[in-house]
Amino acid sequence: MPQERSIVVVSAGVSQPSSTRLLADRLAAATVEELAARGIRADVTTVELRDLAHEVVNMTLTGFASGPLADALAKLAAADGLIAVTPVFTASYAGLFKSFVDVLDKDVLAGMPVLLGATGGTGRHSLVLEYALRPLFGYLHADVVGTGVFAATDDWADGGGDDVKPLPERIRRAGRELAETVADREPSRPAGLYDAVPSFEDLLGH
Amino acid sequence: MQFGIFSVGDVTTDPTTGRTPDDTERVRAMLTIAQHADEAGLDVFATGEHHNPPFVPSSPTTMLGYLAGVTKQITLSTATTLITTNDPVRLAEEYAMLQVISDGRMDLMMGRGNTGPVYPWFGQDIRQGIPLAVENYALLRRLWTEDVVDWSGKFRTPLQGFTSTPRPLDGVPPFVWHGSIRSPEIAEQAAYYGDGFLHNAIFWPMEHTAAMVNFYRQRFEHHGHGSADQAIVGLGGQVFMRKESQKAWDEFRPYFDNAPVYGHGPSMEDFTRETPLTVGSPQQVIDRYGAFWEQVGHYQRQLFLMDHAGLPLKTVLEQIDLLATEVVPVLRQEAEARRPAHVPANPPTHAERVAAARAAGEVHEQGVAAADHWTGRTAEDDLAAADAAAAVPDGR
Repeated sequence: MPQERSIVVVSAGVSQPSSTRLLADRLAAATVEELAARGIRADVTTVELRDLAHEVVNMTLTGFASGPLADALAKLAAADGLIAVTPVFTASYAGLFKSFVDVLDKDVLAGMPVLLGATGGTGRHSLVLEYALRPLFGYLHADVVGTGVFAATDDWADGGGDDVKPLPERIRRAGRELAETVADREPSRPAGLYDAVPSFEDLLGH
Repeated sequence: MQFGIFSVGDVTTDPTTGRTPDDTERVRAMLTIAQHADEAGLDVFATGEHHNPPFVPSSPTTMLGYLAGVTKQITLSTATTLITTNDPVRLAEEYAMLQVISDGRMDLMMGRGNTGPVYPWFGQDIRQGIPLAVENYALLRRLWTEDVVDWSGKFRTPLQGFTSTPRPLDGVPPFVWHGSIRSPEIAEQAAYYGDGFLHNAIFWPMEHTAAMVNFYRQRFEHHGHGSADQAIVGLGGQVFMRKESQKAWDEFRPYFDNAPVYGHGPSMEDFTRETPLTVGSPQQVIDRYGAFWEQVGHYQRQLFLMDHAGLPLKTVLEQIDLLATEVVPVLRQEAEARRPAHVPANPPTHAERVAAARAAGEVHEQGVAAADHWTGRTAEDDLAAADAAAAVPDGR
């Protein structure tokens, strides 16, 4: 029986169609392909934050997730890997992207293999992955793979953008790194809701 | 099944008039509301404890002590008493005093507080919230059940030969609930001691509440207090009613939209769908709340938040009347009709607890021989001396 893993893809693009979603899909496809080459079937769930924007704001105000946001958070908590892609707004990740990160349980990404991506108008924003996204996910103790993929508008043109490491090559490499990390791990098991609660004897220190 | 109301004592501007009551007016309104609930025949009035504006009820035992004198039937409780930042010695004394004054017509609910700064204000560390709840409550129980306590722990100064007075009424401490929304450790604590567990469900989807309550029930059975369905469960709730559903929606909407906790967030439509908030006719409240047992089993106490979000006193009193006359009698009857015989109908009363303690031979003294402050002798010495004196044969 082939092994299975679950990958959650979070895309914070706000327009439709969205180049952020396009990059997210490419990264997911590369990861799935690389996992398949290792005999692992990957189940991919794509979360469009655009569709959850109101629920994300509501959760910041009420503290609980409702409807499709609750489903997305549950999927993420049980995922073997995460691909997180955001457009660059005003020199950093999109506010919606950060708002989503803010409603995550603080431990949910700890140790989780994560591939980061971002999109922007010009290559001058490309270091946003390193100065904004990587520290954020480092704070959450995520296991972020070495290669992050930034796609400027010109990267989508044949022969445009980066001609030293063209976008498809960077996507392949990032997908391979995430696939390797995910494949190295035991599949995440859905934990019982209260499995980690210590018994009261332990709480009392007996 | 018991039905009552609980107040957080928020001072909130009425969005329809722009008027804000002052603290004195709000405290007096809470007293009026509690007395009205008693006269209307509700089972419980509970007040929160807060030490930060815009909340006024900082001193629950003062309020409940007064209410014990002016009410007749209603059970007086807290929702919640801060077990983390109050000194457990003061809690033992104050609530034993309230128990005596109210003649046992009280219980109390432990909680950990609603705001971070309350911890440093009272010299505690919020990161120790759970350990504080565990240690303080363990000490509180000892102070109620042991006449003379020697104790040392992590969070307060040690005690040698300390006797908390007055001793609990009839030698049996008040019934205690543990309130929590998201900490399973608190459900575990309630289960460990066989105390009640109240899930304040008012901002949460029912599935979450059901998961937490069922966890408590399983642990209650695990710790040997009875079967899971015999555990003592309470739920929070909130409703706004008018005989015509649309009128309820129209009248409550500005209060909902501007409420301190959920205002400017989800729509009232979303919030009423996802959480127990029910806006509509009394029959709609009956339908909604009458179905919660399907998810949490038979439970013993349902508390409603009614005097919040700037609702005027007159409206709150009307809501209490609607609740007491149109909703509670029906829900009580429905709950009783479906309750399995081995499941307690209500939380235990003081009289029931006294009877149970006597049956188990666990009744404690109501008075303890005094310590001699001049020689530093302890009550233990006096008890030993009294025992020795009693052992001397007659005719000496």
